[in-house]
Amino acid sequence: MATVEERIKAVAARVLNVDPAEIKREHYFSVDLGAESVQSVELVAGFEEEFGIEMDEEAALSVETVGGAVEFITQVCKRQGVPIEE
Amino acid sequence: MNEARRPHPLVDATGPNLIESIFPYDLPPLIHLDSPAVEYIDGKPVEFDLPSVMGRDIYITDTTFRDGQQARPPYTIDQMVHIYDLLARIGGPRGVIRQTEFFLYTKNDRETLDRCRALGHEYPECTGWIRAVKGDFRLVKEAGLKESGMLTSCSDYHIFQKLKFPSRRACMDSYCEVVDAALEAGVRPRCHLEDVTRADIDGFVLPLVDRLMEMSRNVPESLTAKIRLCDTMGFGISYPGGRLPRSIPKLIYKLNHECGVPSNRLEWHGHNDFHKVHVNGATAWLYGCDFLNTTLFGFGERTGNPPLESAVFEYIALKGDLCGIDTAAITELADYMRSIGLPIPDNYPFVGKNFNTTSAGIHAGGLRQDERIYNIFDTTKLLGHPPRVAITDKTGVDGVAHWINEFFGLKGDDRISKIKCAKLARWVIDQYEVHGRLTAISDEELEAKTRELMPEYWEKYRGK
Repeated sequence: MATVEERIKAVAARVLNVDPAEIKREHYFSVDLGAESVQSVELVAGFEEEFGIEMDEEAALSVETVGGAVEFITQVCKRQGVPIEE
Repeated sequence: MNEARRPHPLVDATGPNLIESIFPYDLPPLIHLDSPAVEYIDGKPVEFDLPSVMGRDIYITDTTFRDGQQARPPYTIDQMVHIYDLLARIGGPRGVIRQTEFFLYTKNDRETLDRCRALGHEYPECTGWIRAVKGDFRLVKEAGLKESGMLTSCSDYHIFQKLKFPSRRACMDSYCEVVDAALEAGVRPRCHLEDVTRADIDGFVLPLVDRLMEMSRNVPESLTAKIRLCDTMGFGISYPGGRLPRSIPKLIYKLNHECGVPSNRLEWHGHNDFHKVHVNGATAWLYGCDFLNTTLFGFGERTGNPPLESAVFEYIALKGDLCGIDTAAITELADYMRSIGLPIPDNYPFVGKNFNTTSAGIHAGGLRQDERIYNIFDTTKLLGHPPRVAITDKTGVDGVAHWINEFFGLKGDDRISKIKCAKLARWVIDQYEVHGRLTAISDEELEAKTRELMPEYWEKYRGK
């Protein structure tokens, strides 16, 4: 199984049309990766679909960086009993 | 830079003050008046007790079938009867819509009046409207009406240029002959002072009103002359310190206090040539006219009249209570009028199709969080018209999410988050950014796409 970080980068690459190899943990989705308003929502939707989880809309949309998403989604998966590779 | 005259320390708060004493939401925003207004009239300060309007008996009257009908193709009898029926519903059992007026000249006019009265509503009372011709009072009497309006145009534009009277005296005498005929026929005359805001108030209007009051002295109260102040060209102004003949406060004061016309015999009738029509009407209420003459959706001569539905909401705002008014019937009447060809603009207040539709994404976001942020009052409750979002290139995901939740009728915790609307939002944005669309997306299109892109929700809330 790919790690949480790898899976997040794969979703981000697809939604934002960027090379996953170029994505770094410290990157901001909007500033560095160019995510616009609807893309931020698509990212969260993509993460939910990828991991099979439900995220609180406000909390999920307030995550700004790739690294922040890794931490946030890891916590959500653990809370919701979804197996992951960290 | 000037020094601050009075410091204003911050009143900090960790929660919102939504000022619900003024913005209750289940009523229109309330109009609280807590101090008098002062006008200088003939060099002396005069105090107007504006807050008294909250306890005074004020009313709305209607001229949809007369002035309103002058501006459009004639209504059929069935249409007028239905409109009258709905007017009665709106005004409620207390008769807030107190009167309406009818032409009396043709067989159809008479049949309309008879069929309206046959509905058995106490209000609005039916009155007539005739030319200032003695013989016409016969029509009023034959129709069994107790009151009729008659034109008593009062500016020199009318007296000399239109009516060709040789003098003001001849004009006044002619009007008073007709009023005499009304009184003899047992019909209450309602004298319409046409073009009063362009008239010589001291030189003609007040002498005419003095004479009408004199003629009313020896008749029963039910026959005493009423005065309709007709701001025929929309010249009236509400501004403090305004001058006659345009100043509405000063005009009403002179009639109230110098001619002794009581407020319950004073009525305001305006036109919208300078966009002032509603405020001028409300001003008339505040300064001592008990009656405000209106038409449905402001339709009337040229630029139109004070809109009846605006007067209704102003009334509720001043009284702080619905007073038996059925505001939902306003929407029903608007839908009916549209169905018979009355062109109500989409952005028209209270009744336009999109009067509470937002297009901006940031506004849609606000609506999702608290409807009160971008909705004037509970339009769902008062008008059966929830706030809507127009789906365009500017709507954003928030707008799409709002539309979805309204479409499925979801409230509170059942509402779908915008995350779940991502695919539909993407489709909307692509219409503009990828396919170059220039028009808004219709409800029908969005419905079809919702079914396609959110099938699980469609099945849950709409069935298969």
